[in-house]
Amino acid sequence: MTCTVRIASPLRSYTAGAATLTVRCTLAEVLGSLEECYPGIRFRMIDEQDRIRPHMRLFVNSSEAHELSAKIADGDTVHLICALSGG
Amino acid sequence: MSLSTAERERYRRHLALTEMGEAGQEKVKAARVLIVGAGGLGSPAALYLAAAGCGTLGLLDCDRVDLSNLQRQVLFDSTRLGQAKAEAGRERLAALNPDIRVIAHAIELRAANVREVFGQYDLVLDGTDRLATRYLINDACVILHRPLVSAAIHRFEGHLMTYVPERGPCYRCVFPHAVDGMVANCAEAGVLGVLPGVLGTLQATEAIKLITGVGEPLSGRLLTYDALEMRFMEFRVTRRRDCAVCGDTPTITEPKDMQRQTTPEGVRRLTVAELHELLQRGEKPLLVDVREDAEWAAGHLPGALHIPLGELPQRLQEIPSQSHAVFICRSGGRSMAACQMALRANIRSPANLEGGLLAWAGTIDPSLRVL
Repeated sequence: MTCTVRIASPLRSYTAGAATLTVRCTLAEVLGSLEECYPGIRFRMIDEQDRIRPHMRLFVNSSEAHELSAKIADGDTVHLICALSGG
Repeated sequence: MSLSTAERERYRRHLALTEMGEAGQEKVKAARVLIVGAGGLGSPAALYLAAAGCGTLGLLDCDRVDLSNLQRQVLFDSTRLGQAKAEAGRERLAALNPDIRVIAHAIELRAANVREVFGQYDLVLDGTDRLATRYLINDACVILHRPLVSAAIHRFEGHLMTYVPERGPCYRCVFPHAVDGMVANCAEAGVLGVLPGVLGTLQATEAIKLITGVGEPLSGRLLTYDALEMRFMEFRVTRRRDCAVCGDTPTITEPKDMQRQTTPEGVRRLTVAELHELLQRGEKPLLVDVREDAEWAAGHLPGALHIPLGELPQRLQEIPSQSHAVFICRSGGRSMAACQMALRANIRSPANLEGGLLAWAGTIDPSLRVL
């Protein structure tokens, strides 16, 4: 089972500029897959206590995921949203 | 607040909108709107609100017009270089629409003055490029019951959200807090010039909707825009009961300046004067510059190792654990994040260069070019 992940602009330096990736499937597994491919990206989103960092919001389709145990179904899209500061 | 004959002519296209009409235009004329940040976002927002006949428009910015601003800050032109943005913007808006009142606030927004400034306005637009100011604006709007239209940009991506008091979540509900270094800014990462044009124009749209009561405000929804894919997306966000400022038991009850980032245990703080003295003595600490490629190319300290923050986790093995490395960035935010990564990788007593290369250029070597 796979899902699509849309990467926040500030995190694309980890993914060689890729905006969209296809990976497999609880939210924890999704982030684990990303980390395998792009070491260091998980740390920017998840802290040492496995909590989503306060400048990040993760959504599955349009619903927010608050826990890494959130289930992801075939065809879902995970959106990684990062606070921006530019004006 | 009735319209003159000239105003009826000027705003004829608005009056033709049944949703607005003369009553709506009169509300726009009576409105008092503050734009914080006369930059990429504030420029189009200010121009459109002035053109729309917003009766009182405040422009708050303490910077001066720089050549690198003109790629996106359409409120200014080449004749304004070096001038205070607030005043130059005021003159431009007054020329566009002499019927409105434009107030220039050439000051830095701080907790000490935010009540006085916000007290003069009914609605606030956040177009600042400083994270600390973003939270100060949000907290002040919640505490003072001012609607807030907030936008932010990065490279090719933008966010937009409207806070309506007592109705929906505030910015802090969405991003409870953020740390410099974890959140990139445009000076470091670059920005497509037209991007703030899109977002700033959307801010002006939201402002006019809030003023006139027309349409549905972007409350409880985070709008994202990706210019590369030409895709708008919308995410539902809700008020957090534990929000520090608008939650059930708020801990922030007065606007306050964001505290300076505290130094975690194990991280040494190094001033630019201290580093300069070390180098003068002939010591050779490992200098690790964690800025992006373009920033490095513009100028860097001799002998420094370049590892952009994004590459640091997989390149930490390049830093010997006993090296007492000094991490460097533009202003000290990203280097602090790098120090924390180094600590987790058991690199002993990493040091953070306080104030970064901006401080170095300011006090030690003015010839160093820092983007």
